[in-house]
Amino acid sequence: MARIFITGIGIITSLGESPDENRIALKQGKCGITDLELVQTRYAGKIPFGEIKIETETLKNQLKATESGVTRTSLLALHALEQAINDAKLSASKISSSETAFINATTVGGMCLTDELYKDSNKLSIKSSYLSSYDFGSVAIYLQQRYQIGGIVNTINTACSSSANAIMYGARLIKNGYAKRVIVGGTDSIAKFTLNGFNSLMILSPETCKPFDNNRNGLNLGEGAAYLVLEAEETCKSKKIYAELTGFANTNDAFHPSSLSSEGDGPFLAMKNTLDVANLTPFKIDFINAHGTGTENNDEVESRAMLRLFNEVPSFASTKSNIGHTLGASGAIEAVYSVLNIMHQEIYPNLGFENPIESTKLVPVLSYSKKEISHVLSNSFGFGGNCSSLLFSKI
Amino acid sequence: MLYIHSTSCISAQHTFDDVNLVVLNPVEENKLLAVEPNSNQIPNAVLRRMGKAVRMGIKAALSIVNNQSELKGIIIGTANGGMEDCIKFLNQIIVYDEGTLTPTNFVQSTANNIASQIGLFTANKNYNITHVHRGLAFENAVIDAMMLIKEHPLDNYLLGGVDEISTYNYNISLLDGLYKNEEVKNNNLYEIETAGSVAGEGAAMFLVNGKKQNSLATLRAIQTIHATDEKIIASNLKDFLASHLADGEKLDLFLSGENGDCRLNKYTKITEKIADTTTLRYKHLTGEFPTASALSLWFACNFIENKKVPNNMVKTGSIPTEINTMLIYNNYNGIQHSFMLVNR
Repeated sequence: MARIFITGIGIITSLGESPDENRIALKQGKCGITDLELVQTRYAGKIPFGEIKIETETLKNQLKATESGVTRTSLLALHALEQAINDAKLSASKISSSETAFINATTVGGMCLTDELYKDSNKLSIKSSYLSSYDFGSVAIYLQQRYQIGGIVNTINTACSSSANAIMYGARLIKNGYAKRVIVGGTDSIAKFTLNGFNSLMILSPETCKPFDNNRNGLNLGEGAAYLVLEAEETCKSKKIYAELTGFANTNDAFHPSSLSSEGDGPFLAMKNTLDVANLTPFKIDFINAHGTGTENNDEVESRAMLRLFNEVPSFASTKSNIGHTLGASGAIEAVYSVLNIMHQEIYPNLGFENPIESTKLVPVLSYSKKEISHVLSNSFGFGGNCSSLLFSKI
Repeated sequence: MLYIHSTSCISAQHTFDDVNLVVLNPVEENKLLAVEPNSNQIPNAVLRRMGKAVRMGIKAALSIVNNQSELKGIIIGTANGGMEDCIKFLNQIIVYDEGTLTPTNFVQSTANNIASQIGLFTANKNYNITHVHRGLAFENAVIDAMMLIKEHPLDNYLLGGVDEISTYNYNISLLDGLYKNEEVKNNNLYEIETAGSVAGEGAAMFLVNGKKQNSLATLRAIQTIHATDEKIIASNLKDFLASHLADGEKLDLFLSGENGDCRLNKYTKITEKIADTTTLRYKHLTGEFPTASALSLWFACNFIENKKVPNNMVKTGSIPTEINTMLIYNNYNGIQHSFMLVNR
């Protein structure tokens, strides 16, 4: 089966608008979680968010996306996708080839327009310009039309593991001969809908989240987008290659719609099966980009699952304390961060940690350091028990 | 390529227990609401909390996965998942001005809820995914299943497509021009030369693997296209048939996604001409929705299994004595198109 190489990356988060800006902020241990400025909600100023401080109208102008009905979720996607395809030097004719696929992930789609959606769905006003922009597919359909992407186009929503699954599906398209190159990733913007949803579950922290800390008290929502260009080995012989995608797995915890089982079967199996696909022993893993949301449930279960799989748990950290939980974008954002770990042979600190969880005693990476990195495992676990892991390797 | 071993379908028609495609339930107020079967597999207290998409999905799934050897994956296509719960939660946000809200609707509204509830009910810890790419959500689930089967030919997978009509997505799609303004019936949907179709909903599930023996039908090939120019659809269809039909092999039936929207006739006309065989249509039975193509695959399996086609579905041509090879064409709102080639 074809080897899958990463030849382009693009990203926008509350830490920065490019891979370089994100890397500098990660090295410095910067936190992009702040009071809300751009979303109208009664929680602005009360709960912090990983908000990107660029207004939607500004994004539209910057990206020349002045068509009607384009949402913030699509604009963040467009920003990151354009970077990724430029980075991989994909020409317009390559993009429109039937051998180029595009797999997107989003859990918010056009629902960032909560108030407009309320009016349109209850027929409370004359129709808005967003009628075909609310659903999940709207983002990928917009980008397909804008770039005339010629191959398979898809959108995946498995809650917080969505874009890890988009990356996996894209890689499998190449391995099975359905595509030669794929643009994969995810996007989500902060929506009144999701922030109230997570708030009703009482898992939003009133302060900056503290992944893997004993006194963690919930997650912060963030927004962002990231895309990667994956290519079959044969098509990128003369290209720069950042890393190889060597393993992936998708499992289900099959325990509860919105929390993980105490033994973490889903997370354990996702990590274990990923190593099996790559034919690697746990001992070979140099670093884990943990899901680490900062909730009571996730961090303890993820810790237990790591302890089950690894005799000695490798260095690990969560970047949720830098940018918040970006939901459908998080798997792709963390894939880009994993690629940065490999490209620069370095690891970034997990912010907000003071004391280890009593029952597991695991301590994440607490400071920036150079480190020899051959294999990075990246975890994404979501509601509905949807667990996925990806493995990135130095070539 | 994948082999279909059992199927189930919940729709506005008699497609679940005693299948009857001759006596039709009527379109009411331009909607074809799915008839939900009773279920003794799921406690009522649990069912009450679920939205209709989840109920349809899980009832259709459980009717074919029970007593089967372990599923290695649950692969669902749904454009919207639990839209009704989604907007109920949204309405709470606005009405209570973001006050203290109950999370039930939020948790039920996530699009992956159908696949994850099936995983929960069957205690299945394997591959579990939800494709949500609007009018190609089910088709991407099919591609996913085909890849899994190529990777693991002996394993069983559950493949399905589900979507519901909620008051809200009906309003949005009506405003967007997807449904007709004038009232139509099952028997004049295709005759009224206006824009829009009628709303539909349903769930179709398939137990699939790589084993030909004892299979009901074969899904030989699939192709998806994003385009609006009918000439692109036509040239793709010609290539698709040329590369997948054997020399001299003819199509016995063409199952068209025609939905009564006059703006989309150009696509169904040109594909019908290329297929050059008896043309059937089904959206007067199911209504239009993004994963209606899942139901079209169920119809194809039903025709192959029972060697019969109801007269109300025939548009042109005569019903062949042997049904071996069928082409299914669908498009959603003229933007997303798909071909599926189904065999006995």
